[in-house]
Amino acid sequence: MIITERIEKLRQQSLEAEETLSSERAELLTKFYKQEVELVSPPVRRALAFKYLLEHKKISIQDAELIVGEKGPSLKNAPTFPELCCHSLDDLDVLNQREKTSFKVDSKTRNNYEKIIIPFWKGKSMRDLIFKEMTEEWKAAYQAGIFTEFMEQRAPGHTVLDDKIYRKGMLDFQTEIDQQLSRLDYFTDPQAYDKQEELRAMHIAAGAIIHFAHRYAERALEMSANEKDDIRINELRKIAEVCNHVPAYAPRNFWEALQYYWFVHLGVTIELNTWDAFSPGRLDQHLLPFYRQGINKGELTHQIAEELLQCFWIKFNNQPAPPKVGVTAEESGTYTDFAQINLGGVRPDGTDGVNEVTYLLLDVIEKMRLLQPSTSIQVSKKNPDRFVKRATKIIKTGFGQPSVFNADLIGQELIRMGKSIVDARCGGSSGCVEVGAFGKENYNLTGYFNMPKVFEITLHDGVDPRTGKKLGLATGNPAEFKSMEEVLEAFEKQVNYFVDIKVRGNNVIERLYAKYLPCPFLSLLIDDCISKGMDYHNGGARYNTTYIQGVGLGTMADALSSIKYHVFENATFSMGGFIDILDTNFVGQDQLRQQLLNRTPKYGNDDDFADEVMTRVFEIYYNSIDGRPNTKGGEYHINLLPTTVHVYFGSVTGATPDGRIAWTPLSEGVSPVQGADHKGPTAVLRSVAKMDHARTGGTLLNQKFTPQVLESDEGLDKLVQLIRTYFRLDGHHIQFNVVDAITLRLAQQHPEQYRSLIVRVAGYSDYFCDLSKTLQDEIIARTEHEGY
Amino acid sequence: MVGSIVTVAQLMDEIERDIPFFDQSRGGVTFTGGEPMFQREFLLESLLACKEQGIHTIVDTSGYTSWDGFEQIHSYVDIFLYDLKLMDESRHKQYTSVSNHMILDNLKKLSSAKASIIVRIPLIPGVNDDYENIHQSASFLADLPHLDGVELIPYHEIGLAKYQALGMNNKLKEIKPVSRQHIEEVEQILYKYHLPLYKDSIGRIL
Repeated sequence: MIITERIEKLRQQSLEAEETLSSERAELLTKFYKQEVELVSPPVRRALAFKYLLEHKKISIQDAELIVGEKGPSLKNAPTFPELCCHSLDDLDVLNQREKTSFKVDSKTRNNYEKIIIPFWKGKSMRDLIFKEMTEEWKAAYQAGIFTEFMEQRAPGHTVLDDKIYRKGMLDFQTEIDQQLSRLDYFTDPQAYDKQEELRAMHIAAGAIIHFAHRYAERALEMSANEKDDIRINELRKIAEVCNHVPAYAPRNFWEALQYYWFVHLGVTIELNTWDAFSPGRLDQHLLPFYRQGINKGELTHQIAEELLQCFWIKFNNQPAPPKVGVTAEESGTYTDFAQINLGGVRPDGTDGVNEVTYLLLDVIEKMRLLQPSTSIQVSKKNPDRFVKRATKIIKTGFGQPSVFNADLIGQELIRMGKSIVDARCGGSSGCVEVGAFGKENYNLTGYFNMPKVFEITLHDGVDPRTGKKLGLATGNPAEFKSMEEVLEAFEKQVNYFVDIKVRGNNVIERLYAKYLPCPFLSLLIDDCISKGMDYHNGGARYNTTYIQGVGLGTMADALSSIKYHVFENATFSMGGFIDILDTNFVGQDQLRQQLLNRTPKYGNDDDFADEVMTRVFEIYYNSIDGRPNTKGGEYHINLLPTTVHVYFGSVTGATPDGRIAWTPLSEGVSPVQGADHKGPTAVLRSVAKMDHARTGGTLLNQKFTPQVLESDEGLDKLVQLIRTYFRLDGHHIQFNVVDAITLRLAQQHPEQYRSLIVRVAGYSDYFCDLSKTLQDEIIARTEHEGY
Repeated sequence: MVGSIVTVAQLMDEIERDIPFFDQSRGGVTFTGGEPMFQREFLLESLLACKEQGIHTIVDTSGYTSWDGFEQIHSYVDIFLYDLKLMDESRHKQYTSVSNHMILDNLKKLSSAKASIIVRIPLIPGVNDDYENIHQSASFLADLPHLDGVELIPYHEIGLAKYQALGMNNKLKEIKPVSRQHIEEVEQILYKYHLPLYKDSIGRIL
C-alpha cells in the first residue's frame, strides 16, 4: 500500500509523540479570570475567555503539514480545563506515573499547578459545585458504583456537526446573529436581555475563531519567508491562503472544507472539554460537492484528495482525550476521544448515500490504521453490498474499524424520539453507538447505570452487602419471594428508586452548566441556538436528549434466568439458600457453580427461556427512564453500552446468580455474558434482536472472529449477509474483533512486540497493550467464533 | 446436534430460527450424511416441512438407493448434489463394494424428471482421475437430458488428523492431493463435452 513520504512522516510523528499534559490553557484561563474586572454576563465572559485563549495560545505548524492546528501548544499536548475540574497534584502524579495511557507532567507544569492554577481554582470549579449540590443519597449511590456521572469532569457537548459549515462562513453566522439581535423584542419578551447576551457571546466567539485562523495564516507566511524548499514555500503560501479564507468565509474547495472543519473542531474542544465525540459526522456526503467540483475543474486529483484526508486523519490522532481527574483518572484507560466519522447511510432525501468519496475514505481508513478518528459505516438497505463488503475487507485486518450501524433503524429511533424525517436522515451514530440529529441536537450521555448492582441490592432488601450500608428501598426479605413476578417487582422498584436519584442529579447539573458555563462557540454551530438566542447548554438546540446508559443486561438476563430455572421451576434450591451461596462467593461450591454456568438457560443462544427474561429487564430499565422530561425541553432516553465501565461496575458487584464470581467484569453492551453463548453468531444475533432496539438511542454488540473465518472472499460475503440479517431483525450496531486468542495472549506476555495491536473494546478501538490486565483478560474471554 | 436423535418437529424448531438468515443470503438447508436417502421417511417429512416454510433444500447423495426413494422426494428438493465416482462397474465395486448400476440409473431418471442436479466428481489420484474414467464420466453426463452443473472435488488431506485423533486406519493415507495442473487438464476435458463446470462453488473446499 503506497503512502507518500509526507504522510509516512506525519503518521510516524503522530504515533511516536508522547502524550503530555499541558498547563498552557489552564494558565491562560487563570490569567484571564484574574485580570478581568468589568462585570459581564456569563455567556459574554465565556466568549471573552475563549477569545483570550485563541489569541494567546501557542500555535505551531509541523514540517510537511497541509492541515494545520493543534488543541495544545503542539501535537499530543493535552490541555486541561480547571474551570470544570481542577487536577490536584495527586492527579498529576497518577497521570504521570501510571503504567498505561499516562500523560507526562514535567516539573514546570506541576509547579504551575501548585503555585498558580490550584490556588485559584480550588473549590471554584464546576466539579466542586456539582458535588456540593448533590444529595446524600446521590453521593452514597455514586460511591457504591450504582451509577457514574460524566458531567462531573466533562462538559455536556455530545454532538456532531452537520453540513452547515460547508455552506456558511463565520461571517455569515455573524450576520445571522446580528439579524437576531435586531429582532429582539424587549417589550414583550422577558428573555430578550438574556438572548442579547447569548447572541453577543456567539458573535465574539465567531470572531475569535476567524482571528485564530489568521494567526495560522501569518505563521505560514513567516515560515515561507524562511523556507528554502520551493515546494514547501508554495505549500506554506497555500496554507496561508486557506487560513485567510476559512473559517471567515464558506469553503471553496476540498482543502478549505477540511481545514474549516478542523478549526471548528479545535474551537469546540478548546472552549470546553465536551464529552465527547465531536466529529464531522457524514463526511463523505459533506465533501462530495467539493470533490466532484475539484475533479471536474481539474484542480483536484484522487491522490491529492487522499493525501489531504490523510493529513486530516493524523490531526485527530494528535489529540489525546482530556486527562481525567480523581477516580476516573485511575480507571479510565484510553487516549481515544470517540470522534466517529460516519460513512454511507442515506441522503437527506432518503436515497442511497454511498458515493465515490465514501470509497475514498475507506481507502484512507485502511491505509492510516490510526486509533483516531473512529469510523463507522451506516448500512441502509438502500446501500449496495459492494460498500459493506469493502468495509469488511478493512474489518478483517483486525483493528476494530469501521464499526457497523443500521442506518434505517437509526432513522426510526430518531423519528420515535421526535425528530423530523429529514433531520433523522441527516443524523447518525457518534461516540460509541449513540444516535443524534447531527448539527441540531444536544444529546448527552450522563452516566452508566449498574443494573446487576441494583439487583444485588434487591436481593439484600435494600442493603449493599459490600459495605453493609442501606442504599435502596426495603422491598421485602427476598427469601420470602414466592414467584418470579415478586422478584421482578422488587427489582423494578429499586431501579426506579435509583433512576430517580440519578435524574434528580442530572437535572441540577444541567442547570449548573446552563447558568455558569455557557458555550457560545458550540452554540453558534448547532441549530437553533442562534434563532432561539439560547445557549446549547440551556435548551438552544432544536432537540435535547439526556441519555442514561444501562450496563450489564447480559449478566442480568442470566442471573434472572438462573433464579427462574433453579428456584421457581426446578427447586434446585430455595431463594434464601441461593442468596446465602452468593454471599459466600461460591467458596467450596465449585460443582454448584459449574451447574449454574453450564446447566442453566443463558441469553445469547436463541433460547426463549433466557431471552424472555432479558426483554423483561430491558422493559424495566426502559420504563424507568424513557420519556421523562429533562430541563432543556427534551426527554430522557436509554442506551445500552458500557465503554469500559463494565469492568469497574463488576469490581463493586458481588457474586451473581448466573455463576459470576464477585468483583469480576459484567457483560458488556447488549452482548451475552462472556463465554455464555455457544450456539454461534446466528443464535447470538437472534437473541439480541429480541429486545426492541428501535426504542433505544443505541445498543452495542460485540462479535469476535478469528482472522481465518474471514480469509476467503466467500467468508466476507457471509459476513456481509450476517450484518444484513442482523439489521433486518432491527439490530442497531455490531462490531467485530478479528484476532485470535493466541495472538492476544502473546501480546499480553510480550507487549513490546505488539504495541500496534488494536482491538475493539466497546464502541471504540484501542491499543491492546494499553488496556488493563483485567480488560485484556476479558477481551480474550469473549467468545471466539470459529466459524459460521 | 451431532449424534443426537431428534424428531422432525425438533429439527424444524432449529431450522426455522435461521429463516431470516436464509431469506437474506438466499441460503437454506442441506441434508447430507452419511446418506440421507437411508432415512427416507424422516427426510421426506423434513423436506415437506421445509417446503411449507418456503425454505430452500439441497440433498447431498451418493445415489445408491432404490428409485422410489427419489421419486418420492424429488419434487421437494431444490438441488441434488449427486456424487459420481467411477464409471467402470468393476472398479466401482472394488472401491465402494457396490455396483454403480443403480446410481447411474437413478441419475438418468432424476435428470429426465427435470430435477436440478449438480454432479460432483471426487477426484482421487490413482482411483478415478485417469483419462479413461474422466472421458467416460463426461460422455455419460453429456448425454443426460438435463444437468445444472458439474463440480470437481479434488482429494485433500484435511481429514488425516481426524482419522488419527479417532485412532482409525485411513486407507487413503498414501494418496497425495491432486496437482493444480491435473485438475486443469480434467477441467479442459469436461469443457470439451460442453458440461456446465462449476468452480469455487458449493462444496469446493480447496
